[in-house]
Amino acid sequence: MINEIKNACLKAFESGEVGYIIGWQATRFADKTTPLFMRSAEDVEKLVWNKYCVNSTAKYALEDKYPEKKIGIILRGCDSRAVARMISDKQLKRENLYLIGVVCDGKEDPICATCSHKTPVIYDVLIGQPTTEEISPERFAEVEKIAAMTPDERYNYWAVQYDKCIRCYACRNVCPACNCVECYADQYRTGWQGKAHNRAENQVYGLTRAYHVGDRCIECGQCERVCPMNLPIMSQTRKMLKDINDLFGPTECGLTIEEAPVLGEYDLNDREEFM
Amino acid sequence: MLLPKEKLSEALGALAAEANVIAPVKWEGDVFFMPYKGGDVCLEGNGKLPPKDVLFPKTEKMYSYSIAKGTMTEHNDAAATILFGVRSCDAASIERLDKVFLEQGYKDGFYSAKREGLAVIAMGCDKPMATCFCTSMGIDPMKAEVADVQMCPVEGGFTVEAVTEKGKEIVKKWDSLLDKKSKAKPAKVECSLNINVPEDFEKKLMDMFESPIWDDVTKACLGCACCTYVCPTCYCFDINQDVHGDEGTAFRCWDSCMFSDYTRMAGGHNPRPSKKERLRNRYLHKLAYYKDRHGKYLCVGCGRCIANCPAHLDITAFAEKAMEVE
Ligand code: SF4
Ligand code: SF4
Ligand code: SF4
Repeated sequence: MINEIKNACLKAFESGEVGYIIGWQATRFADKTTPLFMRSAEDVEKLVWNKYCVNSTAKYALEDKYPEKKIGIILRGCDSRAVARMISDKQLKRENLYLIGVVCDGKEDPICATCSHKTPVIYDVLIGQPTTEEISPERFAEVEKIAAMTPDERYNYWAVQYDKCIRCYACRNVCPACNCVECYADQYRTGWQGKAHNRAENQVYGLTRAYHVGDRCIECGQCERVCPMNLPIMSQTRKMLKDINDLFGPTECGLTIEEAPVLGEYDLNDREEFM
Repeated sequence: MLLPKEKLSEALGALAAEANVIAPVKWEGDVFFMPYKGGDVCLEGNGKLPPKDVLFPKTEKMYSYSIAKGTMTEHNDAAATILFGVRSCDAASIERLDKVFLEQGYKDGFYSAKREGLAVIAMGCDKPMATCFCTSMGIDPMKAEVADVQMCPVEGGFTVEAVTEKGKEIVKKWDSLLDKKSKAKPAKVECSLNINVPEDFEKKLMDMFESPIWDDVTKACLGCACCTYVCPTCYCFDINQDVHGDEGTAFRCWDSCMFSDYTRMAGGHNPRPSKKERLRNRYLHKLAYYKDRHGKYLCVGCGRCIANCPAHLDITAFAEKAMEVE
């Protein structure tokens, strides 16, 4: 597999259309890789593909909105959905990207157990045999577990979680749906997000994050992967996705590049029994 | 002197009966420094977060006021505290913070009130983690700076040595628990992660401000504040207010040089506009600026930023790359 990916990178550089390609490289730790930015054919030998390639490659493209040449990205299933997300959200242009899709073999990340799209949903070249995919019966297991709690239990559960949160904003910065040019939490003069580190302010952030991305979450689990304090925050966006599924029918986000967010789209036929 | 392993809870209980004891305990699947309420402490692996919060809380009130009542009240909550189980890296971080908060010509009242009431019981570290590199930063895992009592794990228990007067007071309370005949000595410990930091490395780094290396070493950074908030020596804070009508409370809270608003000026200009300038500042502060000013590295090699970085960036890998630059 790695050789096929490397060849695809070399070809991309040969074509002269691609400026750099984002992948993964080894670190001094056997169980960690870090994003790699290949600028020429010489860099391609640094590329690795193993079960520790857990970092998303897609979001880095946001830092380069007007690239001179195409941005190459090596994509797993979830990274391809991240790209689709950002194109749908009008943050990236498809024609600026060269996408090397790789059918994913599952990574050393708990989220992969419930992954339903190991085969990239968009790509220019695809490496590997597409797999048959189905939605995991465990997709909403965590949501249901939390929903089964009494209101007090649930309050206490999240209170402990937000006592742990250090508001490092890693979950925001890694999320492909968090693509605002300036986050509300950084608009320090508005007073929307208080700066104090305490349960209340942390909860304000947690709620706001979940609502801002809940109808566009691609279920890549990067937010939980990066959280240093191990907050189960994808269960919040998955709670919103479950409600959307229950109310509007089967929904998964980031499968096409022309997707309107459920809560950001107006349709005359929308249900409106609350009016 | 040896404190037998099975006497540890009793020893801590004796201290907790009279003072506020903070110790590493297992909570929510990780190790945290928390008020000791009896039971087992956890000495496996270092705390997820450093014990910095004890001296420099995440958020602390400074003063409250009421315009209607015409009152203003200062806050400065400080209780005598015994910090138990501090590893050499985190103990060294207290020494680094002391320099900033106490010895720069201005004594920070909030910090100093807590610092004066603090006693440190350091615990030698015989099992450095894969990300630990304190020995490269000139720190001895078995002998901590600022320790009032130095303990070290040995066969069957812990050696105990009172280093300061404060420490002697503590050890006195353990009199009946100690095996005074024991000759046990801690083994020498080296980290498995080593970097050979050259002499005058800070000078070299200070000359590298405009080096092309920064684009490369900061490219994968996500620009979050994880590294700074898990770091025992990051000490930046912001001052803000909670205002309700004509009453309010001013507080200070942790801030991070990795945030966009950290250097944003009135009017909107930002001299550190992107993660490149921000991460460069963090690396240089840890490895160059502080050393230049105070003679020691601000990084104490605890490895928390390496273990927790979502992009798996590694300050030691950066240091090695910087060493290679001609
Ligand atoms: S979420 Fe799916 S596509 Fe992404 S790394 Fe895991 S298994 Fe692969
Ligand atoms: S990554 Fe975790 S600790 Fe950081 S802000 Fe998000 S929830 Fe809080
Ligand atoms: S810079 Fe990293 S390794 Fe150094 S003291 Fe801070 S958290 Fe620890």
